[in-house]
Amino acid sequence: MSPEKKKTPAKPRVSRPRPGPESKRNVLITGVSSTVGRHLAMHLMNDPRVGVVFGTGEGAPPHFFQSFDRARFRYVQADILRSRQLKNLFGSREFQAAGVNTVVHLAFISDPAKRGERIHRYNVEGTKNLLDKCIETGIQKFVFKSSDVVYKLDSKNPVYLDEMADLNHDPNADQWIKDRVAAEMICRAKMDTPGMSIVILRITNIIGRNINAQLNAYFDGNVIFKAAGFDPLVNLIHMKDVIEAIRLAIFKAQKSNIFNIAGNDTAPISTFAELNQRTCVSLPEPLLPVVNFAMRKLGLTDYYYSVDRERMRYACLLDTTRARTILGFEPSGSVEFREPDAY
Amino acid sequence: MNRSQRKAVWRLVERLLPQDEIERARHLPFEDMGYGYDPFGMERETAVLAFLVARLVYRYWFRVESRGCEHVPRSGAALLVPNHSGVIPIDAAMLAVDVLSNLPEPRVVRTVVDYFASDLPYVNVFFARAGQIIGHPKNFEDLLRHDNLVGVFPEGTRGVGKPFRERYRLRRFNVGFIELSLKHRVPIVPVAIVGAEEQAPMLANIAPLGRLLGFPYFPVTPQFPLLGPLGVLPLPVKYHISYDEPFRFYDEYPPEAANDAQTLRMLADKVQVRIQEMLDVGLEQRSSIFGLGLSRYLIRKEDRDVA
Repeated sequence: MSPEKKKTPAKPRVSRPRPGPESKRNVLITGVSSTVGRHLAMHLMNDPRVGVVFGTGEGAPPHFFQSFDRARFRYVQADILRSRQLKNLFGSREFQAAGVNTVVHLAFISDPAKRGERIHRYNVEGTKNLLDKCIETGIQKFVFKSSDVVYKLDSKNPVYLDEMADLNHDPNADQWIKDRVAAEMICRAKMDTPGMSIVILRITNIIGRNINAQLNAYFDGNVIFKAAGFDPLVNLIHMKDVIEAIRLAIFKAQKSNIFNIAGNDTAPISTFAELNQRTCVSLPEPLLPVVNFAMRKLGLTDYYYSVDRERMRYACLLDTTRARTILGFEPSGSVEFREPDAY
Repeated sequence: MNRSQRKAVWRLVERLLPQDEIERARHLPFEDMGYGYDPFGMERETAVLAFLVARLVYRYWFRVESRGCEHVPRSGAALLVPNHSGVIPIDAAMLAVDVLSNLPEPRVVRTVVDYFASDLPYVNVFFARAGQIIGHPKNFEDLLRHDNLVGVFPEGTRGVGKPFRERYRLRRFNVGFIELSLKHRVPIVPVAIVGAEEQAPMLANIAPLGRLLGFPYFPVTPQFPLLGPLGVLPLPVKYHISYDEPFRFYDEYPPEAANDAQTLRMLADKVQVRIQEMLDVGLEQRSSIFGLGLSRYLIRKEDRDVA
């Protein structure tokens, strides 16, 4: 026996049989209390290819889940990004007995007003801990719901960004962006893990009731402020297409990959503002952060301008060729506006 | 544009254009994504509005004469490759009006603008709505994939910034358009524009001043900077635009040839030689620069009525 204590090598992963066409997917959804999470859970519960669904959320179980089959759905009140609670969940007998082989990571602090080093570490380290735990446990599919905010937007961009486009590594970018870029980088760094597929979905602006997404809040404001002299195209995606994309990532994506996911509705900001029957006011760009600050403090909006600085000038449209060819993703939903007649 | 603005544009069209041209404007081919905008942000109403204005310049200022328009493919992706000249790149606009006016079914020519255009307020929106886009390689590919007619100027700013004494001597072509043609199997239509060189004869270029202002060149022409801001207006030269048989290099060369620099250079040179020939023929046939027909006073009186 060697006198010095050697560092034990990493525990060998528990290898589980790959889900074949007959075996069921047992899914853990983190952040299941969100609107996307809840609807995803419902769709998975109705899918015969899914065995058991675990969902983690921070608060008490939402009413939404009361009708779910208790034998197949388990809501766990846990802050999955905290390492203690993460360990407890993965170590629990129930979890291990269920044979969870798929994780959909939706949990991220979604309030852009919350910022600071603590939030950053929470989002980013929490994702890293979760991912490491998944690798250790032998999870076979890890789906991360990312966003198109990770792309760098400037005047040199093409109209359609594909998955190889540059990410925003600007140190002055808003923390919302930096957290997501860092979390994605962590996922990308592990994409070569054998036996595990990591699928990153970069999704455009999700529009729908109760969706906590930037442009949703933006178009719901009483008055919409935009930059004078600019009217970039924006793409909106319906929540049911987001669910569909995640479903395809779970069931169809074989290897680790990154996919751009975009919706059917693309038009300039002013068009959507008009369709949503909101007054659209053009202001010189330097005034926009000031006005937004005032509106937030007065409680008139949840929209946080600082995240979307560049999006007020430059279009961020996604080239979805990869998702179309590999996943067969075709958006079918259409965002409904106040006045549903044809434009 | 909102709905009422769009209706106003169509009312203006009905007032200003003859009936057959109104129909052409209404049926301008357009890949509508559902809100009146195409995938690249073009809006039919803005393109038509720009056409209404540019048409006036086309007919009454430059009095453009066009030949060989039947060589432009009526549908499907194609590259239009003209020479570029004249300090102010209005030759692109004249080409677009020419194609819109003379093709049996109108097609919009998508030309490129430089990167800085995205940062100019209002201008960036106008360019996008009128169908012009930033010259990023991926934009070209996407446009061609959507079956657009794309105008490329292989001389680039080197062409427009030519000194007057070197007019109609083509500058070395960029090879990007050959790559696009081979990879996407798209025909190349050579175009020669005669007349633009004389619209703002560049007598000198104050390069340091250009660099200071962020322009590729600072031209000194008979009008500018002598007449101040009015000096940016081009002289009323007569334009002659001619098109020739398209090159279909993809019939002889596989897409992999797009990776071979020598092949690209050779094919670009072929196109350059053809356009140079077209320019030389056009210059020879041109009787006067401004097209005022003063040369007819040199003809005998008896023949003048015929002329």
